[in-house]
Amino acid sequence: MKAKVILLLLLGAVAASAAFLLLRHGNASAPVARITRDGAVLEEIALDKVDAPYSLTFEDESGRNVVTVERDRIRVSEADCPDRVCVNQGWISDGTVPIICLPHRLMIEIVGAGGDVDGAAG
Amino acid sequence: MWMARPVKGAGRIARLALFTAIALTIFMAEAQLPVIPVPGVKLGLANIVTVYVMFVMGPWDALLVLSGRVFLGAVFSGQPMTLIYSAAGGLLSWCALCLLRKALTREHIWLASPAVAVFHNFGQLLAAAAVLRSWAVMAYLPYLVIAAVLAGLFTGVAAQTLIRRLDRIRK
Repeated sequence: MKAKVILLLLLGAVAASAAFLLLRHGNASAPVARITRDGAVLEEIALDKVDAPYSLTFEDESGRNVVTVERDRIRVSEADCPDRVCVNQGWISDGTVPIICLPHRLMIEIVGAGGDVDGAAG
Repeated sequence: MWMARPVKGAGRIARLALFTAIALTIFMAEAQLPVIPVPGVKLGLANIVTVYVMFVMGPWDALLVLSGRVFLGAVFSGQPMTLIYSAAGGLLSWCALCLLRKALTREHIWLASPAVAVFHNFGQLLAAAAVLRSWAVMAYLPYLVIAAVLAGLFTGVAAQTLIRRLDRIRK
């Protein structure tokens, strides 16, 4: 009896997660990449205004991450942590999931440009 | 009560050491597998040992084996930062296992693993949210729940089989 309840709860959790993933959508226009460490903002980049690709390096006592920016997308291209999860994650271009480098406490998330006239029009 | 008679003294210590070594070996072997591009998604094969020890030897022995494996795993993998996440996930999943131990009968041990895996991932995300000081990491929760249930079913069936086979040896 209890086993059935647990099984139903698990199936419910999977169904809810799947529904959430299928139904949500990322930010439509004017993506802004916000790069933070320990919750403090290091950089904010308006991805739709990037003309030529470029790289940024973020370094502290825990290690180094190189972030590459292109028009409408961003990735971590180099990291000196052992597992390099953030590098393997590749490009992100919408607000569905952030890139996270746990060993260096670095996070790149894409947020919509709230109140930006160009963004609203585009 | 279907649980095995408790082993005490040197026998218990030897078993704890054995299970910690087995769990650590499985953990390190699994760490060599290629990285799946969604962080936190893995089979969690060492979970088999935790579930087995919890159901056969009891909650405190399971906590000892789990914390031993988590600590040594962080040391051997050379990433001390992972200790926070593994410890948070391990502690939350241990609490869940304690409750499941009372709720589940012998035939349904395989159900414990997916539930435990979900709580493990949730604990890791809570730790990550605390470190990064942002709830944005919870965007990973739906992926991790689905992955945890699938991986947990696999390790759960493995743990169930293990308990059945080892019972047969003991007789």
